[in-house]
Parts: sequence; C-alpha cells; structure tokens
Amino acid sequence: MRAITTTLIDSSPLTVRELARAVGAEDQWVLRLVEVEILHVDAPDQPPERWHFRSADLQRALAARRLERDFGANLDTAALILDLQTELRRLRAVLGAHHIA
Amino acid sequence: MDFKDYYSALGVARDAGDDDIRKAYRKLARKYHPDVSKEADAETKMRDINEAKDVLSDKEKRAAYDQLADRVARGGSPDGGFNPPPGWDEGFEFRRGPAQGPSDHADFSEFFSSIFGNAARGGGGAGGQRAPYREKGEDHHAAIEISLEDALHGAERQISLQAQEIDAQGRPHLVHRTLDVKIPAGVRPGQFIRLSGQGLPGHGGEAAGDLYLEVRIAPHKLYRIEGHDLYMTLPITPTEAALGAQVTVPTPAGGHVDVTVPKGARNGMKLRLKERGLPGKTPGHLYLLLEIALPPADTDAARAAYEQLAKAAPFNPRQHLGA
Repeated sequence: MRAITTTLIDSSPLTVRELARAVGAEDQWVLRLVEVEILHVDAPDQPPERWHFRSADLQRALAARRLERDFGANLDTAALILDLQTELRRLRAVLGAHHIA
Repeated sequence: MDFKDYYSALGVARDAGDDDIRKAYRKLARKYHPDVSKEADAETKMRDINEAKDVLSDKEKRAAYDQLADRVARGGSPDGGFNPPPGWDEGFEFRRGPAQGPSDHADFSEFFSSIFGNAARGGGGAGGQRAPYREKGEDHHAAIEISLEDALHGAERQISLQAQEIDAQGRPHLVHRTLDVKIPAGVRPGQFIRLSGQGLPGHGGEAAGDLYLEVRIAPHKLYRIEGHDLYMTLPITPTEAALGAQVTVPTPAGGHVDVTVPKGARNGMKLRLKERGLPGKTPGHLYLLLEIALPPADTDAARAAYEQLAKAAPFNPRQHLGA
C-alpha cells in the first residue's frame, strides 16, 4: 500500500484554482461565487490569488454547481436557495435540540 | 446486484429526449429532495434519480447503458442478479465535459460503480487514445463514514475504491485499490480530507488530480452532533430534579465527569459542559438535555411513597387549564 499525504482542507485551505479544479469549473466561476456571495472571503480587498477556501466553501461550491447543472439555476438564484437551505437546517437543528422535530 | 432501470426511475420512455429527462428529473428532485420531502425513503429515491439523470443526460453513458440494457433483456439473468458482461462497453468513452460539473458520485449505487467506475474511476477509454496533451488529472470526490470516537481521537482507516483502467489491449477493466487514510483528530462532519495525487492521472507528464473525501459521522448511541456541539439526553429522577444533585456522566473523550443538576430542574432543561464537544480551534460544547424519568410504582413501598408525596406536596399540574 502506498503512503498517501492526507490533509484536512480546513488546516490547509484551497486557493481559487484548487477550489475550481475540485468542482470541475474554471477559476472565473469561483470569482462569480464570491461576487454573488455564495462564498465569503476573509479579505475581499486582497487579490484573488490570496483568497482561501475551507470545507464549508467547498460544500457550498459543490451545491451551487449542482443547482446550476441540474436545475439550470443562475448563480443569484442558487445563492438564495443555499441561504434558505442553511436557514432551514439551522432551524431544524434548533427543533431537534428541543426534541420537537 | 440488481439491474437498475434508469428510465423507470425517472418515469420516462426509452426514446425520451433531453428535455423530457430534464423535466422529469426536476419534478422528482423537488418531490424527493431530503430538505423538503416528507417521504420516508426520500434519500434513497433522490440517489436513484440523481444516478438515473447522470447516465441518461450524458449521450455516451446513455448509449452504453442502452446497449447493456438490450443485452440484459435478450439474455436475461438466471438468478435475477446482474453482472456486467465482459467487454460490454467496448467502443464507448466516458469523459466529463465542462458543463457536467464535479464527479460527485460518492453516493451512487454498486450497479452504477460496476459499469461506470467509482470515485476514482479512470475515465474509461478517453485519455490514452486521443491526441497527446498536457493537463493535470481531474479531481475526484468520495465520502468516508467514521465513528464519533474516530473523529474525536483521530484514526487510520483503509478505504477501498474501484478504478476503471485501460489494459494493454485498450480494453477497460475495473481495478480495486486500497488506500490508507489518516483521519485527523477533531474532524467534523462535512469537512473534506484531501488526498494529493489520488484523483485521475495527469496527461503529458502533468500531476495526477486529487481525491477529496467528505467526512460523515455515523449515528452514535449517546451523542448527537450539531456543528461543533454534542447533545446527550441525561435521565434524572424526580428527586434529583426537585432537590438538585451531583450526577456522574460519561464524556465523549472517554472518562467521566460530575455534573450538578440544579434544584428545581425541569424536563428539557439544557446543561452546558464548556468545550467538551468536538475539539478544534473553537471547541464545541457538550449539552446535556435533562429528561425526568419516573421510578416505577411496582412495589407496595413505592406506591406508598408516591401516595405520601401526593399528601405532603399537593400539586395540580393542570391548574393553568382551569381544571
């Protein structure tokens, strides 16, 4: 068996290029995700070469890619759907914590 | 393994056009999306329709699948099981156009994997037979389910993947490989572990792609995970709830800790054990949800004690109902 380098992407975050490759997209597509606020970067004033992305960003980028591909959603619509989905899951967690759901 | 009828999964005819497939998929995806569906088997259904759409909306995969379905229909199968016949996919290429997005097939079925390869599939007959070019290999995705204990303490786990590779005669075949994966301590559900160079091989001497493993944590008998926090139901007696008590509880990291149940504790009250949840830069907390458990009145002494309590502390819990 070969030894493999494993890294948690939250301790070694992805660049724009790496995130784009991970979702099968172009760099430009990742920049659009930041523009429509599907992804949030720590320092939006810095050039994109200095941006970094973690697991939650990869999750959202993959979800946006699926909405775009499977439903023909544009990225503004995908942003709204993802925000609603996040809120839904947060509320469900609150209900779950109180044994309501 | 059962043969999967992708056309009936989407409820479309064999000669359905791209538009019909898209419409059928969207309708079913809204019905079975796990975030909105009330159906009991929504997750399985969603997986099936995702898989069916992945194959039927890709010309190459659909042609290969149709040919395979014809062969199965002609030959049948004695035990109702299914194994792809050798060499069934000669002459077909499976590659991903830019519009098809990530190869996120982590959840697809064994049937899908057996004909189109799994997370680390080798891209079918594509690369090697076309004009040489230089490009880094594609990244791939798969999921790994670990126990809460593995997430807390870290672990080394072996995962098995199937890859479709091309042999010397140019024929595709499945290759199984096993990878040793190091799970870092404190990993949380939804995080990704990156395995450098374990995606598709590169072309023209370029590096191989990477494999991303999404971490899932199996349900635990005691703890429920919410983000960084853990929740556990802590049963207490009515006496402990009324008078307050010190009770011993197990902690996720192993070991035990003494917890003070406050006097007059109510059912559903939450006690927080600071930073006893999932470890990390911002450690999560462990929440104990109090649940008052009644001692059974199954002996004369216990019944007498209940009656005595009713006399000593008259109490009408239905007062607010006006009863």
